Amino acid sequence: MQPITRLFCTSALLACTTAAFGANADTQAREQWHGEIQNGYESLATETEQLASATAGYCNAPTSGSRPALNDAWLDAFLAWQQVRFVDFGPVENNNLSWQFQFWPDPKNLVARKARYLLDTEAPVNADVINQSGVAVQGFPMAEYLLFDEQLNSGENALPTAKNCEVLSAVTRHMARNARDLADSWVSFKQHYLDTEPYRDTTIKAGMTALEILEERRLAQPMGLRGNGKRNPYITDAWRSGKSLMAVEATVAGLEKFYLPGLTTLLKAAGEAELADRIQRQFEKVADNFPEAHVAMTTLMGSDDQFRILQGLYVDVSQLSTLINDEAAVALGVVRGFNSSDGD
Amino acid sequence: MPIHRRTLIKAAVAGGIAASLTGCSLLPRKTGPQPERYAGAVGLPGGSFGVSAFDRSGNVQWQAPVGTRCHSGCNRPGQKDILFFERRPGWSFYVFDAETGQRRHRIMAPEGEHFVGHGVFSPDGRWLYATASRYQPGEGIVAVYDAEQGYKRVDTFELAGIGPHELTLHPDGNTLIIGLGGILTHPDYDRIKLNLDTMQPALILMNRRSGQIVGRFAPAHHQQSSRHVSVSAEGKVYVAYQYQGPLYETPPLLARIEDGQLREYHFDPETQAALGNYIASVVAHPENDLIAAASPVGGTAILFRGKTGELIAKARITDCAGIQTLAGGDFLVSSGQGRLVQLSAGQPAKDIARLPVQWDHHLV
Repeated sequence: MQPITRLFCTSALLACTTAAFGANADTQAREQWHGEIQNGYESLATETEQLASATAGYCNAPTSGSRPALNDAWLDAFLAWQQVRFVDFGPVENNNLSWQFQFWPDPKNLVARKARYLLDTEAPVNADVINQSGVAVQGFPMAEYLLFDEQLNSGENALPTAKNCEVLSAVTRHMARNARDLADSWVSFKQHYLDTEPYRDTTIKAGMTALEILEERRLAQPMGLRGNGKRNPYITDAWRSGKSLMAVEATVAGLEKFYLPGLTTLLKAAGEAELADRIQRQFEKVADNFPEAHVAMTTLMGSDDQFRILQGLYVDVSQLSTLINDEAAVALGVVRGFNSSDGD
Repeated sequence: MPIHRRTLIKAAVAGGIAASLTGCSLLPRKTGPQPERYAGAVGLPGGSFGVSAFDRSGNVQWQAPVGTRCHSGCNRPGQKDILFFERRPGWSFYVFDAETGQRRHRIMAPEGEHFVGHGVFSPDGRWLYATASRYQPGEGIVAVYDAEQGYKRVDTFELAGIGPHELTLHPDGNTLIIGLGGILTHPDYDRIKLNLDTMQPALILMNRRSGQIVGRFAPAHHQQSSRHVSVSAEGKVYVAYQYQGPLYETPPLLARIEDGQLREYHFDPETQAALGNYIASVVAHPENDLIAAASPVGGTAILFRGKTGELIAKARITDCAGIQTLAGGDFLVSSGQGRLVQLSAGQPAKDIARLPVQWDHHLV
């Protein structure tokens, strides 16, 4: 064989092998993602079911001792949601399930307005009413309002009054049903997910979007690093309960558990094992900010000393975002465009 | 390697706002009597937005800041006005001097309405027709403005449907062609799609003088959101869909009216998948039977023959969206990364310029 021919054949073989390896890695990554996200959805189903049960338990026999357990049940379920919140494709798109779980941001305070309306309604607030009431009523922010809003809980409609219990029960049952449906639908979705190659990029972009929202809208904006420069804790995820930063921690933990393994598979297949290691270490750096940052945003914004905790977290999240949204995305050939993410 | 957003921003900040023209000294000429400039809504450094116009040498003619992201616009025939509409939910549209970029008007939507990003003029340049929505009841309308009276609102045409988007004018000079997406949204709920199970998208033909609907065509599937439209010089009407179902389904995304109904174009499975269930622009060329469509989601632009549906060309263009027809029969496709790519029937897609902007959906 002539050297030039031999070289061509060797190159072609290498190209074929690399392509096959890439295709295998794609399939393997989607299998990993599907399995991990399944775990996350099952956890959400379990925790929301426990929240609904805790609501029923507390409302049937309200004692001061059982109230913290109810609050904790809300938090556990909320954090389970934060872990899978990055998934913005597949069954969670049905019936705006993602919005149902968490209507946010809420610049017009629709959650409070809708809650007041429901609490003032004489007719029973049952499953049908919640079904018809729109996404601001159907998820964690509404439950949080009913459980934690200071004004509400110092007034005549404070838990465990019958009306508040009625609304909270209907809302938490709705959430539990949605979570069960979501977990079941994700199982049915598996073959489509594995067979449809574009879900590779869709999944990578889901994590990128989640990190961008985390960096910009959940940290930079309330910290006053954007726009008018004013600090504003009231635009965070869970300001009423003071758990916005725990939610941040859970989102990052969810990305590490459910998203990073598939991403790492792809990066290694693309010869980027070192980048995968750096990303893993950056996840750990973000996690190191906790439990120190397990504090209400309002508290951390109250003094410059405390604010430094928030700044440290922001810097670490920002670096994680850069590693994934810039370096990993480029290495994997994924672009989130100005127009492609617009939706018009 | 794609241009990174921050690279573009840096270039714009540095003042180097000129196109890098590849292998040519001038940007290509547009078809017909269109102005010799390329204008579009753009993203600016620091997350702000503007409208930019480039001359054919690739130099920026003007750049005007706007309050919120704009989407598309239109030139006023016979006059120097160029209009841009805010992206949905658009609370206003802007009227600029097309030569200087000086803002002449900012017209606010009336209480209870918002624009959706598109408008078109009557051939004499007097009447502006803008798609809009009454968002509380979710009613789609065409809002009519008199440009000779400083863009005074003079009429409203009902569409009997939800979510109008692009509209254009038939070469008969009398018939508006309107894409009705069918998707219910509400400004209080961000851009959440509120009625995906019950959508009723349509392609609508309307008498622009009376507002009477003279044709209404429903796509085969109720989730084929009919958002973008175009019409050929011979009056062939095209519609492009954004499919709202799952990604693993790849239904047709383009159609035209034929024999009183919508004839859908089926491409090979690879092409269908490459379009990502989302077409941002469809444009029929006035000099031939070619149609171009761009999908930023799939990062793919295609060229096909209107009569036969034959796929003529396909190009991978990351974040492509805007399309302009060129004198001589070709198309120019813009991207959110500043690229302008010439799409031809006879030769491979050709990069002809890189501009330091993020072009928004439509070239004007």
